[in-house]
Amino acid sequence: MVENFAILPCNGLDKCAGVISREIAIKLCENGKNEIICPVYYRVAETKYNKIAGEHALLVIDGCHNRCASKLAAEKKLKISRKITVTEEAKTHHIELKRNLRLLENEHALIESILNGLNNVDNTIVLTLEETNFVFEFVYETYQSGKFLFRIPKNQEVYFNENDCWAWVIGNRARIGVTDFVQQNLSDILYFTPPGIGAEIDQFGEAGEIESSKSVFELISPVSGKVISINETLIQKPELINENPYELGWVAEIELTDSESDKELLIGFDQYFEIMKKKVEELNG
Amino acid sequence: MSETTFMGVERDKIDWKPTIDYTKCDYCMECVKFCPHKVFEVRESEVIKLIVRNANNCVVFCRACSKICGPDALSFPDKNATTQRIKEIRREESNG
Repeated sequence: MVENFAILPCNGLDKCAGVISREIAIKLCENGKNEIICPVYYRVAETKYNKIAGEHALLVIDGCHNRCASKLAAEKKLKISRKITVTEEAKTHHIELKRNLRLLENEHALIESILNGLNNVDNTIVLTLEETNFVFEFVYETYQSGKFLFRIPKNQEVYFNENDCWAWVIGNRARIGVTDFVQQNLSDILYFTPPGIGAEIDQFGEAGEIESSKSVFELISPVSGKVISINETLIQKPELINENPYELGWVAEIELTDSESDKELLIGFDQYFEIMKKKVEELNG
Repeated sequence: MSETTFMGVERDKIDWKPTIDYTKCDYCMECVKFCPHKVFEVRESEVIKLIVRNANNCVVFCRACSKICGPDALSFPDKNATTQRIKEIRREESNG
């Protein structure tokens, strides 16, 4: 890893994934540069660990989808620089986790794979739509509900799915993101997991995740194609999605493979605006 | 909370709902607390304490409950197959 990290592992001792989290944290600290934040001791030694967190980038290792370590980071208002979830990594590496609490061959193999992954830095350079001189000038319609303001772009080139994600389609490329409905519902966004550059995504396939202390939102891609660029700024500043999920908080750019077919299942501003207003009313009702 | 259609197709015709793996579920009920659409139902006095009660309330392509399920006990149908099926239904209905 390039950076020196403060590592906040799940450390759940009654689950295999927790034990693996702990082991990964220990191994990462063997280089003498990274530091562990013990989630249990953090409860009584806040000053010590706040100092460590303040001096390092923070790596959170969640064991499972309970996200106890992420939730602790949110509670302590720590900014997460990087995050992994052991059960998700196990799926990626086709390793089945069982109920054993002692680390066996299977678990050690997973730990090695995760450590290798953490050490690999993707330096892929791609051309973004901005660099190809496309200009994104969003024109909005707004909808106010109580203290919440929803801005929805009404440009003709912007398409939506009913899962509250948008795509600005230009030729055979598109920029995608989430709408104000998503960011208002999630509240303060704490972490962004981008889709992999080069990944082939089906329409309605997963194109990254956005996480707040309340929930995790899987971005459901409005279009199919290959990820050619991600909004790297969001990795350090995921809160930009709250600030503006369009110009600033866009998620990725896609090279489209079947744009015309995708449009069969997309809607324009008029339809989406009505659907979103209904959703807001239902949530408030 | 339920939508009656998704992309113009009656919700009832789209097979999209969570399936609970009872060998993994530990009845923590995080999914019940999480889902605003009341897809799940708690049955405290039964042996099986959690069921999918309102499948049609489940937002098509949403898998958010599986993302917060600690024991990884929730699964969903294949997205691509579901997409293709929705397109087929739309074509059938526009031709019919």
